[in-house]
Amino acid sequence: METQTRSLDEKLRWYDHSYKIMLIIPVVIMLISLVYIGYFYSKNGDIMQKDISLSGGTAITIQGDIGESLETGLKEKFPDVSIRKLADIRTGKHIASIVESSSQPQELKEGIESVLGYNLTDENSSTEFTGSALSENFYRQLLITLIISFILMSIVIFILFKTFIPSIAVIFAAFSDIVMPLALLNFLGMSISPAGIAAFLMLIGYSVDTDILLTTRALKKREGTLNERIFGAFKTGILMTFTALIAVLPAFFIVTGLPDSFRQIFLILALGLFADIINTWLTNASIIKWYCDKKGIK
Amino acid sequence: MKLSIRIWVLIIVLFLAFLAIAPWHAFEKGVVIKSIEKNSTASEAGMASGMVITSINSRQINNIGDYTNAMNEFFPQQLQNRTKLVVQTKTKEFILLVQEAPRITVDSIPSTNIKKGLDLSGGARALIKPEKALSQGEMQDLIAVTAQRLNVYGLGDVTIKSASDLQGNRYMVIEIAGATPSELRELVGKQGKFEAKIGNETVFIGGERDITYVGRSGQDALIERCFDVSGGVTCRFRFAVYLSEEAAKRHANITSSLKVNVSESGRYLESSLDLFLDDTLVDSLLISEDLKGKVTTQIQIEGSGTAVSQEEAIKSAQESMKKLQTILITGSLPYKLEITKLDTISPVLGKEFTKNLIFLALVVFILISAVLFVRYRKIKITLAIILTMFSEALITMGIAALIRWNLDAPSIAGIIAGMGTGVNDQIVIIDEAISHAQISLKEKIKRALFVVFAAFFTIVVAMLPLFWAGAGLLKGFALTTILTVTAGILITRPAFANIISRIQKE
Repeated sequence: METQTRSLDEKLRWYDHSYKIMLIIPVVIMLISLVYIGYFYSKNGDIMQKDISLSGGTAITIQGDIGESLETGLKEKFPDVSIRKLADIRTGKHIASIVESSSQPQELKEGIESVLGYNLTDENSSTEFTGSALSENFYRQLLITLIISFILMSIVIFILFKTFIPSIAVIFAAFSDIVMPLALLNFLGMSISPAGIAAFLMLIGYSVDTDILLTTRALKKREGTLNERIFGAFKTGILMTFTALIAVLPAFFIVTGLPDSFRQIFLILALGLFADIINTWLTNASIIKWYCDKKGIK
Repeated sequence: MKLSIRIWVLIIVLFLAFLAIAPWHAFEKGVVIKSIEKNSTASEAGMASGMVITSINSRQINNIGDYTNAMNEFFPQQLQNRTKLVVQTKTKEFILLVQEAPRITVDSIPSTNIKKGLDLSGGARALIKPEKALSQGEMQDLIAVTAQRLNVYGLGDVTIKSASDLQGNRYMVIEIAGATPSELRELVGKQGKFEAKIGNETVFIGGERDITYVGRSGQDALIERCFDVSGGVTCRFRFAVYLSEEAAKRHANITSSLKVNVSESGRYLESSLDLFLDDTLVDSLLISEDLKGKVTTQIQIEGSGTAVSQEEAIKSAQESMKKLQTILITGSLPYKLEITKLDTISPVLGKEFTKNLIFLALVVFILISAVLFVRYRKIKITLAIILTMFSEALITMGIAALIRWNLDAPSIAGIIAGMGTGVNDQIVIIDEAISHAQISLKEKIKRALFVVFAAFFTIVVAMLPLFWAGAGLLKGFALTTILTVTAGILITRPAFANIISRIQKE
């Protein structure tokens, strides 16, 4: 028992010395992310790669393995066509293909039918068409929604904690939770759907959970030392993030046969949760510790 | 074991949710009628969509397979003579005399009251934008006209409503569940051509140019009388229509050369006034003898509805009347329509999705339970968390069933995301409760609830704008997330806090 407490004590005292250094890692990652998004913007004119329902056009999902010839067959008539394959995660079997193009659904459908040689029906395909005017509206509105929600969330945080620095720490962590996954998605070249943007909204709510927990325990409780309280919050918070990850990862890795837009929601949540671990327990925690040290809260 | 109020509330709400979902429908035998072709023998006999067929000619019909087999057996091809078909539904018995299978579409009875969204059932969704901004009234007219047209095609499961987005644009949202007609684009995108013809000549067309007024109430539109006919009751309606001078003159010209037919229902001209909508005949009206050759700007359009009872006959007549009134008023829409979004989802894919969704839910449940058990090592605590997860999902689905909300893919993602938050909250409560702080259990729970409430507000606030952004296409996500976390805050969290206190006290 004695040795255990002593090593715990050592760990906690180590934190006293190193927390400022720990702050550097997430800040650096955050800066890299922002820089990358800036670079992406200058190259592509937007902060994210939009999928067909946000940029306008048709997406036709065809069941079954249709072979490689489709893309070459369509490229002539539809120069901007792109084909994505959906494969079963476990068996690697090719289960469906998604053909995307900015053209009208009737045209694309006929083009595909003439290359494949058979008709696309209710049974073997699904279509999604969004006019370009509507998709532009969608996109703009969803981005505005994201900004509004973020601001509203910030207001709620300020009302809850009533102190400046801790609130800013929470808001900064939430901001990083969105920026880091976005940079990664851009880097991987993934197209984001409206459902994906909704996932970012969801992330706002999910990520502040752990930050609120940390801040509440550090500032409002009085038992034990500050380090012990932060560590206690860490144990609870990690479990929370871990179970949340367990709730979202299976949709992406274990279960197939779910629509792409659905899986994207869970992928974005998962990335955000990973980012949250860094941002809450390195960034936010370090800022809180700094604040408490300055204020003499032990 | 005395249960506190909060736990009772949870139990009662769960029970109500269970009732709302009504899963016992899964055990119901029979097939449900989805749609009936107009003027068919079946519709004239009084059969209607929604009725459940349980047997035909004393043969048990338990499912779609039984129905198809029975139809194939009774009508391998169109029969020479009409044969008697005794169709038994849950409430009534219908006797039809037909030469071929009744012109109805049937489907298996849905196993619950939960309405499946298009992503789960397959179907089509269209977002239509009129080329000019419409007023509330004009939008309602547009919806009526569109419903009208889709009806002509015998589509059963159609929802049409208006939606607006953050920029104030107004759209008409059409959702058709099940199979999609390939002519859907034509169907919803057309302006709507209405013509009234005698023979090949057009007398008048719908809309303001030829029709200046359509009676809708009072003396201008009413059910005239009802009388018995063999097998039921027929009610006749009439309503006034004022034609423009030009249309009236045309009418006079065309009818002046027609002969008169004398029949037992009255003296009418040999040709009828045929009403065409988008080149499809929707009705044929007899022209009374007095109108021959007359320039009359005021005409009466008559028709009737027939059904088994007087009450139903009146209803049928009113519906026919409304239909005609709508066509005559709206006829051709004065503005163009643009299809801004059109999605078709294959029912096959929809079924796949449902299956995989259930699988996903199970996987998540098992994994989360395992993790929590490893952490807390107490069966009771793990069970308590599982109970609350399950409760929140059930309550949200119960509310969705109650308000007839379509559960589509985003809605379901919202439920799963909401449950994730719920688990997080439970963990906060448990950790606080089992911590070694030197304050009362009640105080600890209060502190935990502060974090829980804070998280609740941030999520609700983040989801709210989704109700309007993008014509509400992601409304489902926002609604179910908010419902799930609210059910959590108001019902399951307090009950859970109670349960944990008890477990701690032991």
